[in-house]
Amino acid sequence: MPLSRAEAQDALRDITRTERTSANFYGYRHASPHLFVWGIIWAIGYGLNYARPQWGAAWPVLALAGIVASFWIGAKSKPAAARGDWRYAATALAIFAFIGALFSVMPPRNWAQVSAFFPILVALFYSLIGIWTRGLRMVLAGVVVAALTLIGFFGLPQYFLLWMAVVGGGALILGGFWLRSV
Amino acid sequence: MDQPDAIIHQPVRLKIMAALKALPDREPIDFARLKTLVGATDGNLGAHISTLEQAGYVEVEKDFVAKKPRTRVRLVRTGRRAFDDYIGYLREIVEATAMGEQSR
Repeated sequence: MPLSRAEAQDALRDITRTERTSANFYGYRHASPHLFVWGIIWAIGYGLNYARPQWGAAWPVLALAGIVASFWIGAKSKPAAARGDWRYAATALAIFAFIGALFSVMPPRNWAQVSAFFPILVALFYSLIGIWTRGLRMVLAGVVVAALTLIGFFGLPQYFLLWMAVVGGGALILGGFWLRSV
Repeated sequence: MDQPDAIIHQPVRLKIMAALKALPDREPIDFARLKTLVGATDGNLGAHISTLEQAGYVEVEKDFVAKKPRTRVRLVRTGRRAFDDYIGYLREIVEATAMGEQSR
């Protein structure tokens, strides 16, 4: 028996809803290891920085380790068709160029500003990914990371690095578990 | 298509196909995650997956991860095409009825 218009519309609505949820689950599952990696790197980097300010030099090494780990996770988890896509490398390059240009036009006046800038940038990326993929959890992860960074920066300037190590790094790790839980 | 594809035209199987269609080409999904997405019981989901597998719409892969059994399901080309046709069929009904109402 052919379907009525209402039945066809209901079926199309069901399909759209399920496809959207499935795509979100897929995105969350692939985003969660990145949050774990960066949560650990933040905890180590900011923790070292707080304990021994002269160990700030460890950041480039940690950042490089994080980027390599992120690329490795991305390459491992991407479907075969997306592997070797030059746009991932080009995106990373564009972000580095943007940061370089920004800091040359508006040089940060102190180390705390640099320490707050990167988490806010990361939070922006999470939120944008969430907005464009309709992934509420990604948007919330971005908002929480940005809010925690600003709270630490303005509210606890003397403990900001410790705050970012424990609360910022911890929030990313917990965010990773949260995304994985769906 | 005059009649809907009887294999796909069943609420649980429709959701399984939609969940798989949203993934990149040939990307599998875990049975447990599919169960959450579809909202079915283990037995019910297993039976519907078997129907889809027998129709040649999906592939089922069973293995062990850390000594625990894992079942993964992926959409194959025939299934993707059948699902696209099914969506086309639904859209035709919606559009044809809408055009019929306008011409009245």
